[in-house]
Amino acid sequence: MSNRSRGRDTGRGTGRGTAGGTARGAGRTRVRAAAAALAAAGLALAGCSSSAAKPSASSGARPALTIGISLSLTGDFSDSGKSAQRGYQLWASTVNAAGGVLGRKVVLDIVDDTSSPTQVVTNYQNLITKNHVDLVFGPFSSLLTVPASQVAKRYGYAFLEPAGGGPAVFSQHLHNLFFVQPAPVVQQGDVFADYILSLPASQRPTTAAYPALDDPFASPIAAEVRTRLQAAGIRTVYQQIYPAEATDLSSVVTAMAAKKPDLVVAGTQSADAYALVKAMVQLKWAPKLLYLSNGANDPLNFPGNVGAGNVNGIFSSGDWFPTATTSGNSAFVAAYTAAYGGAATSIDSTSAEAYSCGQLVQEVAAKTGKVDNATLISTLHSGSWPTLEGDLSWNSDGAANASYVLVQWIGGKLLPVFPADRAQSAPVLGKLPWSG
Amino acid sequence: MHETIQAIILGLLTGGVYALMASGQTLIFGVLKVVNLAQGALVILAAYLSSSLFVSFGIDPFLTVPIVAPALFLLGAAVQWCLLRPLHRSDASQLSLLVTFAVALGIEGVLTLVYKSDYRTIQPSYANRSWTVAGYRIGEVRLAACLLSLAVLGALALLLGRTRFGRAVRATVQNPTAARLLGVEGDRVAALGYGLGAATAAAAGAVYGMVYSFNPNSHYDLISRLLSIVVLGGLGSLGGTVVAALAMGVVSALVGALISPVWSDFSFFVVLLAVLLVRPQGLFGARLRGAL
Repeated sequence: MSNRSRGRDTGRGTGRGTAGGTARGAGRTRVRAAAAALAAAGLALAGCSSSAAKPSASSGARPALTIGISLSLTGDFSDSGKSAQRGYQLWASTVNAAGGVLGRKVVLDIVDDTSSPTQVVTNYQNLITKNHVDLVFGPFSSLLTVPASQVAKRYGYAFLEPAGGGPAVFSQHLHNLFFVQPAPVVQQGDVFADYILSLPASQRPTTAAYPALDDPFASPIAAEVRTRLQAAGIRTVYQQIYPAEATDLSSVVTAMAAKKPDLVVAGTQSADAYALVKAMVQLKWAPKLLYLSNGANDPLNFPGNVGAGNVNGIFSSGDWFPTATTSGNSAFVAAYTAAYGGAATSIDSTSAEAYSCGQLVQEVAAKTGKVDNATLISTLHSGSWPTLEGDLSWNSDGAANASYVLVQWIGGKLLPVFPADRAQSAPVLGKLPWSG
Repeated sequence: MHETIQAIILGLLTGGVYALMASGQTLIFGVLKVVNLAQGALVILAAYLSSSLFVSFGIDPFLTVPIVAPALFLLGAAVQWCLLRPLHRSDASQLSLLVTFAVALGIEGVLTLVYKSDYRTIQPSYANRSWTVAGYRIGEVRLAACLLSLAVLGALALLLGRTRFGRAVRATVQNPTAARLLGVEGDRVAALGYGLGAATAAAAGAVYGMVYSFNPNSHYDLISRLLSIVVLGGLGSLGGTVVAALAMGVVSALVGALISPVWSDFSFFVVLLAVLLVRPQGLFGARLRGAL
């Protein structure tokens, strides 16, 4: 998963302000213009919503399959919310172009929750009890997924959700919930531990450092890797949790460098990942191996923030990448770039996660000939299901049982390198660019 | 020992960056007696403008300063003239907190709309370069920021101490009524003062954008540090700002390297509280009205 979406998942670091704040000192004309623009936007949204909420029922046609979704189209999670929207809509248009699900046209009923855990409850309540949608898909972030999934549970709806991977989601023990990513977020670094432990003893690091951001989506990842590597005899020489407000990590790197670890496993989000690398480069110190849980897995933003010449050799991990060979991925990437423009590397993994929810509905329908909530819940709990995210199966709490993909920057590109069945290149064990 | 000295060097260089950012803050307080909560947002705005000029036109970030500074000067003067000047009431200083906070939110909102919320860094070829002196690393950009900081603060000191505008500012600060009687146009001086304080954010933004990653809401962390620095230095004292920024840099870096980064910011606040207990006006603040 890219750092952009993971960063939002924590609820950190997004714009609280709105453009409306700038309109306060404006004259009446500008206020009227802004009001007109808002009204136009509202009408446009209303148009989308109403067309979605009232599926066309041409005579003789099978009724539409309506899917209700609450998304953060405004507020703190809006960037990622819109990414999810693009993924959902792309899946709907793709499946409709192929005749729909069991001959039923898919209609998405998407409403804005303003990134609010209160509004998201209202939205799903309305979608289910007033709009009478057939199915629901999940919102963005663990923060919103937890209350939303409770509503779905209350009404017996299956809850396929693309972006709520925090421990709070699975500790609810909801049988109707399916997290459409390979594994819970805290297990994101396990694939790196697997890789290190797969190395012959002569190539294995003997000492390791574990700096980590004080964040529920960062420090537990480093802690889990540390537990496994320590158990395998790799000595911990430095471990440190730094606060989110620490914009300058030079002092952390200074202290870490003094311990001379072979390996650095950093539990990071985005800004702190950039700060760690920049501090290492400026201090001209590099470990033999560097793993950053997030930040480095964002092909769009990482090179620009640390310098394109400093990326090679760095490891990270994620759930989806544009070059993945998973089910339907090349078609998804082609359709996405055709629909929304831009390069494949600019696709936020949240879009792929959302699209994968739709894939699962299609597959269950194709297998069972039915597309209702009870069938979805019972069917998805057995077997393995191919998606853009890989082949997924779930435990009883809705956590997927697969593994993230280890990626490494090689030749200026971010390539999957482990496990072998997902790898597109062999891992490269060499010096980091700034180590001299 | 090497670790300690390296941390002190890092702290001094970081302090230089913060001194540059806080100079505008302290100037605005000195002139207007306004705690400008928008200063952090102005720095981030400048960082974005500098980044855009660098990415789109290839202009070196340091050379973007003379382009961005006039734009921020006009913005700052407009904020004072349109939003702060009308607050002619006894509670104007409190209301100005709300106004400048609203300005900060407005800037953040516009930046989010235009640039989205992804982090970015200004990356000229020298952004991550450092010199090695006797085994210690000295970041080129941070050293340049220290020098730029000294230059900006020196220029501001000259402006306030040696020019007609500076005399008008000092007269307004010390006794607004008497200054007005002597022909000083207080509102105009205030607008120019706010504009000048905002313009210093141009240099600060260019440097900040090269040293740190930023996004539209980076100003929240920034403003809390800038306020701490100007309070420690003494509200309105340019010299105090430099000393306080360097102190903050060194204390934070030492604690971060030798104890834990968790206590870095807290340790600075301990120093701040200790100083304020002994000198409530800050290190170099005057007890009398009109620190400048």
